Amino acid sequence: MRSDHPAVLLRTRTFAPSLFSQTFSCPDLAREVAPGQFVMLEVPERSRPYLRRAYSVADARPDAGEVEFLVKTIGPGTSALERLTAGSAVRLLGPFGKPFSVDSLGPRRPCAVVAGGIGAAPFPLLYRALARAGATADLFLGGRSAADVSIAARFAGIVGGDVHLSTDDGSVGERGFITEVFARRAESVPYAAVFACGPMPMFAALAPIVARLRIPSQFSTEAAMGCGFGACLACVIPGVDKPYLISCQEGPILDPARIRW
Amino acid sequence: MVAPTGALPVRLGPLELKNPILTASGTFGYGLEFQDFVDLSRIGGICTKGLSLEPHAGNPPARIWETPSGMLNAIGLQNVGIAAFLNEKLPRLRELGATVIANVWGDLEEDYVAVVRALEEAEGLAAVELNISCPNVERGGMLFGNSPPATASLVARVRAATRRPLIVKLSPNAPDLVESARAARDAGADVLSLVNTFVGMAIDPETARPRLSFGTGGLSGPAIRPLAVRMVYQVAKALPGTPLIGIGGIADLSDVLEFLAAGATAIQVGTSNFRDPAVSVRLVGELEAYCASRRVTAADLVGRAHGPAPSRLDAGAEG
Repeated sequence: MRSDHPAVLLRTRTFAPSLFSQTFSCPDLAREVAPGQFVMLEVPERSRPYLRRAYSVADARPDAGEVEFLVKTIGPGTSALERLTAGSAVRLLGPFGKPFSVDSLGPRRPCAVVAGGIGAAPFPLLYRALARAGATADLFLGGRSAADVSIAARFAGIVGGDVHLSTDDGSVGERGFITEVFARRAESVPYAAVFACGPMPMFAALAPIVARLRIPSQFSTEAAMGCGFGACLACVIPGVDKPYLISCQEGPILDPARIRW
Repeated sequence: MVAPTGALPVRLGPLELKNPILTASGTFGYGLEFQDFVDLSRIGGICTKGLSLEPHAGNPPARIWETPSGMLNAIGLQNVGIAAFLNEKLPRLRELGATVIANVWGDLEEDYVAVVRALEEAEGLAAVELNISCPNVERGGMLFGNSPPATASLVARVRAATRRPLIVKLSPNAPDLVESARAARDAGADVLSLVNTFVGMAIDPETARPRLSFGTGGLSGPAIRPLAVRMVYQVAKALPGTPLIGIGGIADLSDVLEFLAAGATAIQVGTSNFRDPAVSVRLVGELEAYCASRRVTAADLVGRAHGPAPSRLDAGAEG
C-alpha cells in the first residue's frame, strides 16, 4: 500500500519576495520520483488550506535523500509553505502523474526548455535526465518582471545550452513574451524537442509555434487538483480526441496536440 | 480486551453491511483509484461516482474552489456510463472484495429507471443509491430532490424497477428536508442518505466573475458538518425507524460518533478522501477499537442523542 512520505524542511532559498525554493529530507521520494511528476503536499494545519496542494518536484538527489520544490506565493497553500521554518514536517503523497520522456533524445540536436515564471519549477530535475541522456537544452525563461525571472539563478551551472530571458517591461533580458524569443530562435535552431511549463496564455501562444515547426513537445500542464490521483475529476483540460483529459492521470505532461486550445 | 464478536456489522432495512463506514459518491471515484492506498474490502460500502446510462463529460473547468474548511465543486457528474462501469470497473471491484453501491442519476425519470434496469442483472452490487440531489447539472439531480411530489414520483418508479436495496440521497437544499425524506420513504426508499452538498458560490473579487465555470457549486467538507448533523437529527426524529446514512464533513472518529448519535446507522466519508485516501479504513479501525473499549456494538451507538437523558458509555480503561 502507498502512504504519505514524511518530509522535514532542511532549508529555504529565496530568489525574490514570495519566490523561493524549499529542500526537504525525503529519501523514499528522492529515489522514486521522475522528472515532471508531482506530489500532493499537506502542511500541518487542518483547516486552511483545507485541501492538499500539488507541487512539481523541482529536483531530487537520491544520494542525499533530498527533494526540492520551487514555489511562488499566490494563496493560502503557498503561504503556509512560505511560513514553514527549518525542521518543520510536512506530508508528501506521491509521486503522481506521467513524467517527461527523454527517450530517443541525445547529443545530435539540442532541445528547448520554455518556462513562464514559476513554470520553471519542474526543470532542474529534467536537466539531470537530459544530461544523463547526453542531451543539451537551451533555457527560455520569461516573466512579467525582473523578480519573476530571478529564478534563473537556480539554473546556473545546470543548463548545457544557451539561456534566454525576457520580461514584459524589458528590465531583464529581451522585452516581450518568451514565446516570441523562442519562436525567433527556433527558426534557425532545429530543436529536437520542446519542454514547456507556464501559465495557460503562454501555452496557448506556444502550441501553434511548435505545431508549425513540427517540434515534438511536452507541456507540463497545471489545473487545480482536489486529490492528485484521479478521484475528484477537478483537474480536467479540454481535449481533442475526448471532451476532457484528466491532468493528474493522463498528464500533467501532455502533448499539446492533444489539448483543445 | 477482545472486541465483542461482530461489533461493527450494521443492518439498514434489507441492506446488511460489514461495518458502518462507507465512502461517498463523487469522492471515491470508482473505488479503483484508491486500491493502492487502502484495502477496499475493509470498507463498509463504496458508493460509486454517479452513473448515467451514457458516458457524461461533465462541466468545463474550473471545477473546484477551496473554501474555509471545505470546498465547492461543480464537476457536473462526469462518468464513464453504465456499460464501461459494468465491463471495466465492477469486475475488478469484485475481485478486490469491495462492497459496491451504485450511485445513479439521470435527466428524466425514464433515465433513472433505465440506469437501474441496466444494473439489475449485474452480479456484485449491494444496493442502488439514487442521486436526486446533485446541484451541478442543468437538468435532473437536485430538481427531483427539491420537490417532494417529484421525489415521490421518481422513487416510486425506480422502486418498481429494482429488487435491490434502494437508498435515496437527499438534498440539503430542499425547502423542507423532512418532507422530502418522508416522500422518499413513503414511495419505497429502504434507506435515506443525507446530505449531499449545499449550493454555494465563490466570486473572484478582482474580476467579479464566479470562481467555478458552472457559477454555483456544491459545498462540502467539515464546513457543513454541523448543518448535516442537525439534518440527520431532524429526520431521525421525524421518521423513527427509517434507516439513515449520515454524510457531511466526516474526517475523524468523533465525527462518526456524532452522526451515529444523531440517528444515522451508517456514515459516508466524502471530501476527506481527497486529503487522506486512507481515511475510511482508518475510521473502521478506530471505530472497532472504540467499540471494543466501551464493550458496545456500532448499532448500540445509533440515536443516542434522542435518548431521554444524557448517558455516558463506560469509558473502560481509556477513561
